[in-house]
Amino acid sequence: MASSRDDFIIAIRSAFLKKSTQQKFSLLTLVSISIAIIILSSLELKAIKYLKIGINEIVYRSSFVVSIPENFLKDTFIEISDYTTFFKDYKKKKDELSDLKSKNIFSEITQYENKELKELINDYVSSSDKILAKIIVDHDSPFLKSIIINKGSKDNIVIGTNIYDQSYLVGRVIEVNYKTSRVLLLSDLNSNVPVTIAPQNIQAIITGSGDTSATIKYIKDGVLDNFTDKSIVYTSGTGAIFKSGIPIGKVKIVENDDLKSYLVDFYSDFSQLKYVFAEIITKTDIKKTDQEISSNQKTPIDAKLKILEDELAIIEQSNLKFKNENESLKSQINDLNNRLISFENENEIQKEKIKQFNIDTDELEFLRLNLIYSRKCQSRKLFSTGFEVGTPEYKKCILNKGKKND
Amino acid sequence: MTNLKTRGFYYKVYSYLPVIILFISVLNEFDFNYLNLEYFAFNFPFILIFYFTIKEIKNFDYLLVFLAGLINDTVVGLPLGISSLSYMLICIATSYFRNITIRPNQIKDWFYFLFIISLINSITYSILTLFFSYNLILMDYLVNTFFTFLFYIIFVNIFKYYIKGLND
Repeated sequence: MASSRDDFIIAIRSAFLKKSTQQKFSLLTLVSISIAIIILSSLELKAIKYLKIGINEIVYRSSFVVSIPENFLKDTFIEISDYTTFFKDYKKKKDELSDLKSKNIFSEITQYENKELKELINDYVSSSDKILAKIIVDHDSPFLKSIIINKGSKDNIVIGTNIYDQSYLVGRVIEVNYKTSRVLLLSDLNSNVPVTIAPQNIQAIITGSGDTSATIKYIKDGVLDNFTDKSIVYTSGTGAIFKSGIPIGKVKIVENDDLKSYLVDFYSDFSQLKYVFAEIITKTDIKKTDQEISSNQKTPIDAKLKILEDELAIIEQSNLKFKNENESLKSQINDLNNRLISFENENEIQKEKIKQFNIDTDELEFLRLNLIYSRKCQSRKLFSTGFEVGTPEYKKCILNKGKKND
Repeated sequence: MTNLKTRGFYYKVYSYLPVIILFISVLNEFDFNYLNLEYFAFNFPFILIFYFTIKEIKNFDYLLVFLAGLINDTVVGLPLGISSLSYMLICIATSYFRNITIRPNQIKDWFYFLFIISLINSITYSILTLFFSYNLILMDYLVNTFFTFLFYIIFVNIFKYYIKGLND
């Protein structure tokens, strides 16, 4: 019993400490170094970080070179399998293209509207440039779903940069080196994306399932039944990790016996990726006037006072306006009154004139008749029946054309 | 016909072939995953390291195995040092097994290999989930272990030709 325990100890000691002629280090030393590296890399020290970036750069490039023969085989295999379904795919794509062309116009309009509204809401304009990146390492590990792209901090890539295949979201950057970056794909178990499911407008989080689909999580009970095969999944932008409105995939309903499960089928095939787009976002502040800047720096009470002052100024301005209008109306009324008086005066004058004219006409008629009938109406010294000139009776007689009695 | 040993350069390359293949495999991660066979995955470096350390092949340096582990971590995206630790644990196991074995037997090696890779995968899984909060599917690890175990016997028969060539 004791000898077997001694053998075990000797064997273990020998395994750990004995170096054969070729070995430069004992296994115990190397195990210790491994553990030290694990601890140091988890501490995220700056020196370790830079060392890691250096190693990554070299290893990724070497991996790309070493992978060339395998990639060639892989591409050949994919090409052969593509040829077998070529015609079928072509017809399907043609139909899809005509559909998309019509939808694209609406999409552009929506984008412009969206941009306009965002500018109204935010105090900055978010402009983005998509840069093309080549995938240099895409080993489809069963445990971790990630790819390496040939763009890094040199190209303004940062942790969290969104990565696209055409316009579909494929993942985000989780590690940045100088000229390379690691992208965590949406299919990875560690990937969580806040999404909106349309047209039901349901908020959820999707988590990668390690294969070609994702599972819908953190959703209200009962709403799952509302989903259809046509439900579209796109980013909601919650948490500001991903931009909002980026298409991800469609809801896939899987029925096993009586149990229904809801998955997200990605639009993009992650195993076929060769090039991707990295979105570089630059935020530009909208230029503010000095008045706006100073108003933004004030406290809420000051802001309220400012609003009230503005309101008062507006009221005063409108009052002044009404006052001026009133004055001008008053002067107009005065003018009109003056004109009315002058018209009345004129009228009076006209009336006088007419009256005078009528008098003149009567006088003229009297004079004319006087010339004719004065003999008949005038009183003579002897046996006269006429009237004395200038009396009303004389005048009446003249106007009656010499008749002394009616 | 000239012997390999008489042709210096070729012999050197041939003697370093397991190390070269190990580095290519960790850099390239060739695992036929693009065949899209569900659950199909195996760990070739485990087979290679186990076999060549148990045979105590010349030029199969532990330091190079350790470096291969670091490269594997970088390529796969695991925390630095995890694969190195796994590879070193395989080396320790094979070294111990070599010390206690008097008459080597291929079937015994095969099952010992299953025990070792199960143990190492369990350790790796535990470290990644407990200390690094990785979400991993245990089933994938089990399937990977099973296929690695199955492929071991196939590769061993191929490696035998290499050793034969080396000894000749």
